[in-house]
Amino acid sequence: MLQYFNPKQQDFDKDYGTPASVSENLITLEIDGVSITVPEGTSVMRAAALADINIPKLCASDNLEAFGSCRICAVEIEGRRGTPASCTTPAEAGMKVTTQNPRLGKLRRNIMELYISDHPLDCLTCPANGNCELQDVAGEVGLREVRYGFSGDNHLQAEKDHSNPYFSFDPSKCIVCSRCVRACGEVQGTFALTIDGRGFDSKVSPGQNQPFLDSECVSCGACVQACPTSTLMEKSVIEAGQPEHSVVTTCAYCGVGCQFKAEMKGSEVIRMVPYKGGQANHGHSCVKGRFAFGYATHEDRITKPMIRDSIDQPWREVSWDEALSFAATKLRGIQEKYGRESIGGITSSRCTNEETYLVQKLIRAAFGNNNTDTCARVCHSPTGYGLKTTLGESAGTQTFDSVMQADAVMVIGANPTDAHPVFGSLLKKRLRQGAKLIVADPRRIDLVKSPHVQTQHHLTLRPGSNVAFINAMAHVIMSEGLEDKAFIAERCDTEAFNAWRNFISEERHSPENTESITGIPAAELRSAARIYANAKNGAIYYGLGVTEHSQGSSMVMGIANLALATGNIGREGVGVNPLRGQNNVQGSCDMGSFPHELPGYQHVADDAVRARFESAWGVTLDNEPGLRIPNMFDAALDGTYKGMYCQGEDIAQSDPNTNHVQAALRSLECLVVQDIFLNETAKYAHVFLPGSSFLEKDGTFTNAERRINRVRKVMPPLAGLQDWEVTQALSNALGYPMNYNHPSEIMDEIAQLTPTFTHVSYERLEKLGSIQWPCNEMAPDGTPTMHEESFPIGKGHFAITEYVATEERSTRKYPLLLTTGRILSQYNVGAQTRRTDNQIWHDDDVLELHPQDAEDRGINNGDWVGIASRAGETVMRAKISERMQPGVVYTTFHHPHSGANVVTTDNSDWATNCPEYKVTAVQAVKVTEPSDWQQRYRDFNQQQLGHLNKARLNEPRSEESAIAGK
Amino acid sequence: MANHQLTSLIRMANQIAANNTHIGDENAEAEMVANHLSKFWARSMKAQISEYLNQGGDELTPIARKAIGLMSSAG
Ligand code: SF4
Ligand code: SF4
Ligand code: SF4
Ligand code: FES
Repeated sequence: MLQYFNPKQQDFDKDYGTPASVSENLITLEIDGVSITVPEGTSVMRAAALADINIPKLCASDNLEAFGSCRICAVEIEGRRGTPASCTTPAEAGMKVTTQNPRLGKLRRNIMELYISDHPLDCLTCPANGNCELQDVAGEVGLREVRYGFSGDNHLQAEKDHSNPYFSFDPSKCIVCSRCVRACGEVQGTFALTIDGRGFDSKVSPGQNQPFLDSECVSCGACVQACPTSTLMEKSVIEAGQPEHSVVTTCAYCGVGCQFKAEMKGSEVIRMVPYKGGQANHGHSCVKGRFAFGYATHEDRITKPMIRDSIDQPWREVSWDEALSFAATKLRGIQEKYGRESIGGITSSRCTNEETYLVQKLIRAAFGNNNTDTCARVCHSPTGYGLKTTLGESAGTQTFDSVMQADAVMVIGANPTDAHPVFGSLLKKRLRQGAKLIVADPRRIDLVKSPHVQTQHHLTLRPGSNVAFINAMAHVIMSEGLEDKAFIAERCDTEAFNAWRNFISEERHSPENTESITGIPAAELRSAARIYANAKNGAIYYGLGVTEHSQGSSMVMGIANLALATGNIGREGVGVNPLRGQNNVQGSCDMGSFPHELPGYQHVADDAVRARFESAWGVTLDNEPGLRIPNMFDAALDGTYKGMYCQGEDIAQSDPNTNHVQAALRSLECLVVQDIFLNETAKYAHVFLPGSSFLEKDGTFTNAERRINRVRKVMPPLAGLQDWEVTQALSNALGYPMNYNHPSEIMDEIAQLTPTFTHVSYERLEKLGSIQWPCNEMAPDGTPTMHEESFPIGKGHFAITEYVATEERSTRKYPLLLTTGRILSQYNVGAQTRRTDNQIWHDDDVLELHPQDAEDRGINNGDWVGIASRAGETVMRAKISERMQPGVVYTTFHHPHSGANVVTTDNSDWATNCPEYKVTAVQAVKVTEPSDWQQRYRDFNQQQLGHLNKARLNEPRSEESAIAGK
Repeated sequence: MANHQLTSLIRMANQIAANNTHIGDENAEAEMVANHLSKFWARSMKAQISEYLNQGGDELTPIARKAIGLMSSAG
């Protein structure tokens, strides 16, 4: 007898026709004489497929609810009349099903004949040839003739739509199965497609019969993936033909960590198909991961090491050996002259865990100091601080899937549909099932108005008032007796709780008293607090709108307080969930990038911890924390910090107060930049070490749910070395030996030294697909939900979070508050996405402002506006938008010349120095020309590109890029 | 005037103090701030701010002064 198939063992390359049932009741039925046991609610089609009896299908796919329109999947069931569709018929105990007999065969051939009579027969030249479900089914049913001919009405001449840069729509091939329509609704949640018309006239239509590009389509590609024919097809496949092999790897854009099958022809990626076995994305993705991979082979890639003595000189291409020894000599020279602490380095949240680990190891062991930091400093460092203080671990508490159990969801300062799109789609799915939604954001994010989603409350709080807001929420919960007394008594530290209760109960925290600070009507805030507290499962998701404030850490603790007070911790459907920006923010923090912590958040002052690292690394380690990024800049300006190794990070564009950063970078005597492009920072560098894209290396990324995903090399590194090999070679050049043969050996070392990683290895990752840390003796397969029984610090700790107003407030000179964010199609500093067709959606940063503020200043849509703060001034185009509240303006920082960070200040979070990107007091005025900074930027940029071109002109060159440092 | 680092350090110390001043017990507050500084600040930063305190530390708030005093004596 065939047993029930564990979904973990299912074949992720196979389409089972309908989604898995989660029922725990098992039933047994017989299909073609084979007995099979499945969970109740499984369709006959899926049950058959599990037994490898594959019923032909066209309109069914296992990521969509069954629809039952094509009828090709008809079967016979003993004791029932007719031929029911197997995809819409649930399996029942004792059922006897026949899937193949002459009657069914004839029926299917007839159906197929009708389809084919309105379908072009140009299979040989069709881009789907070799991967077309219509072709397959025609073969399966044995179609041999089409009696109707093509003389009648048909759609063969229907016009194609090429408007989307990544896929084409050829309606002549459409069989109106509506898989695309359902994928857009059910999976993506955008509802951009409809079936227009009826019967023979019915056709797929984006928006109001618009081209795809002009419709609400967000180009996620779910419809393309769902289409069984070549109607919706990737342009890359149309151009190159069907791929011949594939490799499963992980997206290098955002913290969702989608897994993909990189479908290849030789060493060329033809398309990325979201992998059904990906435990964060289950076969879905967004436009960035699926389509925007072209940057990896963009002509701007730099593939040869380069050096120069000063940034006023042209670059010189040199061999790896020469570049590395040049760097090593300079860095050592600086240390001799200015002391051991005069150099440092920056790890990247875009690189792998192994690479990050190696960079901080190089700094601590080879540089001999703790001057290591990471770009996570500028986004989620308050998460680490805040969650470690309250819950005992610097990480989110849930899986993404957990949201499907949530009854009330509070989204604070996050924009999941733009910044974490695949999680956004899952969240929208849950909201369509009826979960309640509270959004706290100064700006109306898309989620607030998404189709079939009802937002209970959009709390439009004023930028900078977060802590006053979260305290008011807690005040309502405590003063109205909505807290979870049992949870608090059992799971939380009593003394801390009592102190906190006294603090939070003070009347000054009431919504009525804080209304003037937050701008949120008291009644609305009370209602929101009740919804969250009274929900069976209440979950909080937050983003950079929480962390990037002068009180970022306090706000994170305030959120944790709220979850503790309501007992919303330690099971599915609840929790405190930071939505991490970049793909490996979690990992780069875990891997010891911060100056005070060795890997696994182990403090450098802890003698026992240091002893373990010292014996493994064979060096003496400094027991004092090193400099953080902003401290490095200050020290550089004071002349005590002179050299830096910067991997995969563009601090010149991403860090606040650009003028200050540029001055600091100019003052360095040796800046070593390792990146795939000559990024903004590299324009100040003396050594350029070419990096490798995620397609060119092996390693792991850790996503926002603590999930360690494998990154697999699909093509050789363009510059000959993977990033970890470059770091290793630099270390060897500095005289500190490293001899890893493969990143798996680095992971083994990490596992040996990091208590939460003890059982992680490449072998286990291969077996389990992915692992959520902690993964050790106590949790050998990892930990999906944290804090189920206790906290790493024993009891949950309520933290007192006094609201302290930011120094950055609106004044007569700077009456507006500027806040910053991201959009879907571009990614962070845009180095990658700007080098893809994603440009079509966002080719410039704009300043969004409320119609009232625009009118007051005589600004029209599209005008140039100068935006000035006390830090600097830049110019952008205006976009008038009702999403904004009066007094608040908004922009993104995806393009270097727009200089959003020229305006942001060096204010930062009190605990972690995470910059206050979300609040800058500014003035906006209509102008006619770019700012001084932009003119200077343009000149400098021109000059540096000239320096680069000089280096490139010197080609052709000898075979000197042969691998160094091995 | 050109001492960027010191200007930042003073600001940071005062900000840390401002965010830890609501427990009602000044000594406990100073201790929290001192702990924070020793845990997160680099050696050179601690040295600079201690020296600044020794020279008067005019721009430091009372809790920040107390905390830096505590930190230096423990250090
Ligand atoms: S690409 Fe995504 S959003 Fe656009 S129509 Fe297809 S499924 Fe809908
Ligand atoms: S476009 Fe493709 S998925 Fe959509 S209805 Fe036509 S054949 Fe089906
Ligand atoms: S950018 Fe994020 S959501 Fe989009 S495919 Fe990559 S990991 Fe998934
Ligand atoms: S596959 Fe069942 S009706 Fe289309």
